[in-house]
Formats: sequence, structure tokens, C-alpha cells
Amino acid sequence: MTNPVAGTRPALHAIRVTVNGVVHEASVDPRTTLADFVRGDLGLGGTHVGCEHGVCGACTILVEGETARACLMLAVQADGRSITTIEGIGAEGALHPIQQAFVDERGLQCGFCTPGFVMTVHELLATRPDPSDEEILDHLGGNLCRCTGYESILRSVRLAARRLREAKAAGAEEKA
Amino acid sequence: MPPEIPKTLAGLPTSAPRFVGKPTARIEDPALVSGRVEFIDNLALPGMLHCAILRSPVAHARITRIDVRGAEAMPGVFAVLTGEDARRTTAPLATIPEGWGVHCLAAGKVRFVGEPVAAVAATTRYLAEDALERIEVEYEPLDPIVDAVEAMKPGAPLILEEKGTNVVLQKKFVWGDVAGAFRSADRVFTERFRWNRLGANPMETFGVVAQWDPVDGTLTCRGSYQTQGYMALAVATVLQVSAHRVRVVSHPHGGSFGGKGGTRGTCIAALLSRKAGGRPVKWIEDRMEYLVGGAGQAWDRHYEASLAVKADGTLTGLRVRLIDDLGGTPEGAGAISAAKPLTSFTGCYTIGAAEYDLTLVLTNKLPTGPYRGMGPPPHNWVVEQMVDIAARDLGIDPGEIRRRNFIPKDAFPYEIVTGNEYDSGDYAAALDRVIEMSEYRRLREEQERARAQGRLVGLGLVSTIEPGVFDWNAYAIVGVPMTGVPEGATVSIDLFGKIVAKVGFSLEGQGQYTVAAQVLADYFGVEMSDVRIVAQDSLAAPPHFGPGGSRLGVALTGAILGAAERVKAKLVRVAAHLMQADPSAVELMDGKLRLRGVAGAEMPVAQVAAVMLTRSDLLPPDVEPSPEATYVWTAPGRTPADENGRAKSYLTAANACHLVRVEIDPDTAQVRIDGYWIADDCGVRLNPANVEGMIRGGVAQGVGAALLEEYVYDAEGQALTSTFMDYLLPSIHDVPQAQMATLVTPSPFTPLGAKGVGEGAIHTTPAAILCAINDALAPLGVRATESPASPQRLWTLLQNAKPGR
Ligand code: FES
Ligand code: FES
Repeated sequence: MTNPVAGTRPALHAIRVTVNGVVHEASVDPRTTLADFVRGDLGLGGTHVGCEHGVCGACTILVEGETARACLMLAVQADGRSITTIEGIGAEGALHPIQQAFVDERGLQCGFCTPGFVMTVHELLATRPDPSDEEILDHLGGNLCRCTGYESILRSVRLAARRLREAKAAGAEEKA
Repeated sequence: MPPEIPKTLAGLPTSAPRFVGKPTARIEDPALVSGRVEFIDNLALPGMLHCAILRSPVAHARITRIDVRGAEAMPGVFAVLTGEDARRTTAPLATIPEGWGVHCLAAGKVRFVGEPVAAVAATTRYLAEDALERIEVEYEPLDPIVDAVEAMKPGAPLILEEKGTNVVLQKKFVWGDVAGAFRSADRVFTERFRWNRLGANPMETFGVVAQWDPVDGTLTCRGSYQTQGYMALAVATVLQVSAHRVRVVSHPHGGSFGGKGGTRGTCIAALLSRKAGGRPVKWIEDRMEYLVGGAGQAWDRHYEASLAVKADGTLTGLRVRLIDDLGGTPEGAGAISAAKPLTSFTGCYTIGAAEYDLTLVLTNKLPTGPYRGMGPPPHNWVVEQMVDIAARDLGIDPGEIRRRNFIPKDAFPYEIVTGNEYDSGDYAAALDRVIEMSEYRRLREEQERARAQGRLVGLGLVSTIEPGVFDWNAYAIVGVPMTGVPEGATVSIDLFGKIVAKVGFSLEGQGQYTVAAQVLADYFGVEMSDVRIVAQDSLAAPPHFGPGGSRLGVALTGAILGAAERVKAKLVRVAAHLMQADPSAVELMDGKLRLRGVAGAEMPVAQVAAVMLTRSDLLPPDVEPSPEATYVWTAPGRTPADENGRAKSYLTAANACHLVRVEIDPDTAQVRIDGYWIADDCGVRLNPANVEGMIRGGVAQGVGAALLEEYVYDAEGQALTSTFMDYLLPSIHDVPQAQMATLVTPSPFTPLGAKGVGEGAIHTTPAAILCAINDALAPLGVRATESPASPQRLWTLLQNAKPGR
């Protein structure tokens, strides 16, 4: 809840942001981070904050399809843009294939880093459907996980990539 | 009567376990991958205020003036607290050993950078932080004391003046004929080591929402608590209310590894809530606060070790001198981690004499706290190094010298010289597996060739114990008086046969809810999805501790099985009554109560439970209508410690053998890990995928400890590592993907034969990596003895090895 008390900070900015396909119009204090806006004002708590200084990657979201650190952006910088958070890519009972792969390969323990990883992998697989291990490591080098030791995350990404490719091939076959 | 708890899988009432022992999917995961779990910062209560904490910018000073009027006058600020409030209304924080506590906000004097000095509750965190800037504090600097060795000297500046010394404890413990062992040794090796501060750093920091009820004088604290029951006691003590007025609710949390802390933050938020008339107050520690002022620093140690060895490589005596720098106060239980090595002091070896010369010292740094492994990881790092030093000098292979000294597999249960008893093990078998799987001989040949080319290639091969199922009695030497750690669970079956288990802890990452569901599903013959695990708060749950000390998997299994056995006893009585049989003729098997020897005479569990809950007319007269039972498990056979700390303490002794291959770049001194092999024996694996996760996670933290992680303070006590740019956690690029083998030596003492493994590889990895580094450096005649083995440290060593370069 970033609305300050009346009188202390009069200069609220009106913004219009599309989050997970829904348009939100809001007035925000210009210093409000995008992470606080998404989590607090919009109530989307799946974007986690692990460091607030851009190193851990827990807060990773997609802005116009590209990963961004929600802790390093201000809400006003998202004005006019389209954002996807973890809540926008799947839900319980209907997990996204990337999420399902993390479940199946045990790519998480406490799960605090996981939304950030899932969003980062989402970007990777959108551009490289068949990444090499090296490409996976390179892409995930900026996301920290304190629990897993990463091996199961690597396996999760491989599995997600394979399943997404297979689903795409099956879809193409159906069309043909 | 205590229930009979099965010690093997065959003791479960199922013809073939479908879940226990299998790598089942975790029931925790769908919500976690969806970001829909209520971590504490996702909680917002009506009227909630936000706390920000002003922290000391200096290591040691008197507070001569503090003026909070500017903050109080700000619109949106509802309460401001200082150390004077804390001094007036609270007791000092509890410490181990007792009697060294300070207040949750510094009263009169600050003792470390990051110590809370004042706190504000305001309508937003942004405003609360603004308000901190309007608080004026004047400090009169005192000489800081940052080095533990200096802090011990007479005349050193005092952290707690009233104590007259910075030395919290100084005592030498001798077990066995140490003098004799060293006198009759063929060789004695001595080395000094420096293990620098590092710590837990779970990806989620600590957070709390505290709410004081001004009408009935009760307090509710919701937060990311690892051990809610103990937090309730700690907070009640500080706030001087009786414990039953404090309710602590543990929310799912993003890891802990011992380093979540929370006492100070909880007390501050609670006091602010009281001052603000009972509005809930949220405090979320930010990462910089965590790094500088949180519960994330552990093990700041100066070691000197000596090993007595016979010419044939037999290890006969071990002396360890430890000066452990606890920082500003012993409030973080850092002392416990100096005591815990007693559980496994002599490692996997039959060393018959040992000495521990232990000094605990205060300095102007953050109080140290628990971290995964709780003390043995640095101890093992020292001891395994000493074994390698002996091996190198005697020309014995590191694997061979260890094998010659292993406790033989037929000697268990085995009492080590410091008093603990190892339950079972086969250390040589684990070593053999690693040697085989890694093609160790070939690796040695490759190393020879690499050395001939001037490359710095090293192999580290070590074997360690992971003491599991912690017990308080292991910490007697630092003043902990208890024996036994209760863990309870309540199991109930509804009229549809669905099962609920209530426990006293929340999600933390280890997958314990899954383990509980596996056990119950197999026990009552249902699907795992028919089982639900529910966390109860500190007042509602049966006696509990929660995760910690590689204990919960075993303890929870014991509690669940004990409760299930009690439920079964009730079901058996009712079923026998309904089938007009004697209870002794009725048994539970595969989800049915059946009459032994009579084909077809059986009733499903659900049916019996439904009768109990809906047909009192059909029940035997003395059976209550409750298919529910509670059992509180504690480790059997624990003994109180004697004055030398000898006790049967940790119930299980898991064993791991690690081999790591490193290459050091001679120009940059960067260490590259290019091979990693593990054989791990933690008894019966209730969920092998959970176990693998614990081990791999432990390897990652071990790599951080060995190569990257260090809290750095300058000579003035200023904290130099306040972001993740300075404090380096291992990334996906740093952690090797180890090749792993499993051995299973069941514990004869535990439910289902499982052993504790939650702390896992951090016991072993730092030692293995340092051994490998020193193996690589051996031809140069230098030795790394300080953690982490950073490029800068190794580069300095390399320069010293090559004068003139
Ligand atoms: S919270 Fe944004 S990168 Fe860590
Ligand atoms: S799963 Fe806990 S930080 Fe990654």
C-alpha cells in the first residue's frame, strides 16, 4: 500500500499498466518500486523480493515479454507497458509446462526463488526452444537459489524445453 | 502406554509400501511454483502499520542523545521506540550461556554496526523509513574491538562493562589419555586455521506481523519462524508476559538454514503495536539489514589443531584449540555451534583421545547465530585437513589413511571418546564406492601428468559424519540444561476416511509435509492426496520444536507413526466390537481392519471411522467417538551430559564420502571444480528425492563456504559486506553437478531406520575442497588454511611460493 498520507507527498502520478492481461489505472508515489506496486497495490504476491538490489532475481517479471527486475524498476516506468507475473502464466491445477517441469524434476525446495526462475526460463524458452546446457546456465546465472544446488533446476529446464517442443510439434501436426 | 513405532519399512501395516521410500512428488510444490503460498510479506491485516528500524552506523559507542520528536511529528507515524522504551518495559534478550543479554533496542550503548537503535511504525514502509531520517542520535565513540584474540587480552575495550571481561567461556575438555597419545606418537602435526564468518542467507529474509491485543493483554506474532514454540518463549521472556499470552504463527518461509532469527524484530514490532494501540505492525527485514544486522552470521573461528599419529598412519590423539568470536552478544546461540562438534569430534575415526580447548569471546561485530551444520562443518574442515597433512607427510594415500582409521562396520553402536554414540555405518563401503565411481586411480595418474606439465590439479577425498536428530544435551558445556526434544503430531481420520495431521511447524523447503503424507498414506492404505498436513500455531500444536539439527524427518516420522498407532488401536477396538471378535484377533493391513484367519471379515478404515463419528449406539461403551490421537516423539535413550559434556546426544550418525577434483589457475588463482563424487549413507531414505535435494543443496552451500562467502569487517568494526555484490552466494555457474551414489545402513534406533540428513553435505564439501586445493598446492610447498579460499588469498600464497616472480 504505497499511498502516502495526504499532505506529505502530493505529487502522485497516474499510470496505466497492463498486468497479466488486465488493465490497471492507478495513482502512485513516483518512488514506488514496481515490485511494491505489483505485490502491494495489485495484491500479486508471487513476485518475491529477495534482495531489493537487483542481484538475486527472485523478483523477475516480464515487461513486454522480456525479463526485468521488479525491485529495480519504478512503477511509473511501467506506465503504458504490459507486464506478466508468475500469476499470469499458470495457476494451481493448470500449471504452465515450465512450472510442471519444476514440480516433476524437484527444481525447488522452499520455492521462494522459484517464480523468478520460472519467469527467466519463460524468456529463455521463448527465444531458444532447444537450449544447450551452456545456454541454460548463462541465462540463469543471475538467479540465486539457496536451497537446491541448481542441478534439479537445470533438469527442470531441460524437461520443460522438451515438453514445450513436443507440444508445439503435436500442435503443428494437428493443424496439418 | 507408548505405542510401538516400526523401526523398518516391513513394520508398516501394508503388504508393500507405495509411497515411503519412493521419490514421490512433493505435495507442497504446486502452490509454491504458482507463487500462491502465503509468505509473511504477502500478509496484510486491516489497519496494519509498517516498521522500519534505525541501526547503529558505528561498532562501539555510547548513545549520548537521541531525539525522536521529528519522527513523531510526521503525519502517518503512529509509534516511535528507542532503547529507553526497551530498557523500561522489557527484559534483556536471552543468551547462551545465560546472563550476557542486552535489550532489543540499544539502551545507552551500541555494540555492533547494525544494532537496532530506534524504530518507527507508520502507514507505509516508505514513510517509516523517511521518519528514521528525522531521528537524531549522537554517539560518543568508544574504542572498537574487532579481533577476538585482542579482545581476550586484559585491558581490551569491554563489550559488556558490567561483566569485566569479553571472555564468555574458557574451558579445556580432555577425553581419554591425550598426554599419553601425544607422548607415544611417532609424529605430531600442528597447524593453525582461520575460518571466517559466513552464514545462512535464505532467499527470504525474516519478517513478522505482530499484533498486541490491548484488551486481554495477549500478543500474536505471525512470521517466518523456523521454531515457533521457542520463539514464543523467547518473546514472552523479553516482553515480560507469561508464555501462554503469546501466540506465534509460523508462516511458510523461503528457507532458513538456521539463520532466520527474529527475536529482536518480533519484540520491536510487538512493542510498536502496543504503543500504537494494538494496530498490527509488519516488519520485513531487507537484505542489507539481514547481511549487516540479521541472524545470518556464523562461525568466526581461530583454530589450532594437533594430531598424534603412529608411523603406520594410525591416528591416536586429536587436540583442537578454538577461539570462537561470538560478536556483540551470545544472543544468537553461536555458543551452541562451538559445543556441537562434541557429537562427532573425532569424525569417522577410532581416535581414542581428544582435547578441546574452547574460548568464546565477544567483539564489536554482529552476534553469531546458527547456520546449517551448526558448528561441525568448520571442525571437520580442520580435522580432515589434519588427516591429509599426516597422510602427505607419511606418504600414505588420503583414502588409505582414512580407511586404516575408520570405525569398523561391526563396531556399532560405537561410543566415541567425547561420549556420543554412533548408531550404525559402513564407512569403508562409502569410500570404496567413491573410489570406484570416480576411477580414483586414473584421476591420480591424470594428476601426475598434469603436475608434470606444471598445472595445479588437486584431489580432495574426505569422509565425515553428519550427526542427526539433534538433542539439547549436546550443548551442556555451554550451559544448556535440557535433554530430549519433543516433536508432536495429531492424526485424525474423518468420516470419509480422509486424514489430517496437525503439526507445529510450517513449510521451509525440506518437504516434510510430503514425508508425513507418505507415511500416513501407506499406514492407512490411502492415496497421498487423501492426506492433508496442517500447521498449528505455538499454542494449538502439541509440544514441538520444528525443523533444525537434521532432526525433523526422523522426529516427525516418529510422531506421525506414534499417533497413527494410537488411532489404529482405537479402530481395532471398534472393528472388533462390530465384528464381535476379540481386539487381539483384529489387525490393520492395507487400509482394512481385518479379522485374522477369517477370509472376507474386514472393514475399511473409513467405515470404522465413520461409525465412530456417526453411530455412538454401535460403539463399545468405553470408546470415545474420536478416530484421532496425538503422539509426542523424542529420541530414545538420551543421557544427560557429564561435566565433560559426554552424553548420548544426537541419535543418528550419517556418513558421507566426497571426492572433489580442482584445478587452480596459476595466473588468477581461481579454483575450478571439475569433478565431484559423493557416496552418502543416511540410512533408510523415506523420500530419496528429498534426500538428494538436501545433499545437493548442502554441496552448494559448502562450495560457498569453501570459496566465496565471507562477512568482512574493517578494523573499526564497519561491515563491508552489506549487499549480494559483496557477500557472494554461489550461482548456477559455481556449483558442480556431483555424481552421487547411495548406501543404506539402517539406523537400529529410529522410526523406519532413517537418519538425519537435512544439513547434509555442508559437513563435507568445505573440507573436501580445501583438501583438494592443498593437494594442488602441495608441490609448491604452501598450504591454504583460511576460509574462503578466495582468488586473492590463493594468489598471495602462490606469490609467496614463487619468490622473484
Ligand atoms: S529482489 Fe530483485 S533482484 Fe533480488
Ligand atoms: S528453492 Fe529455496 S531459494 Fe530456491
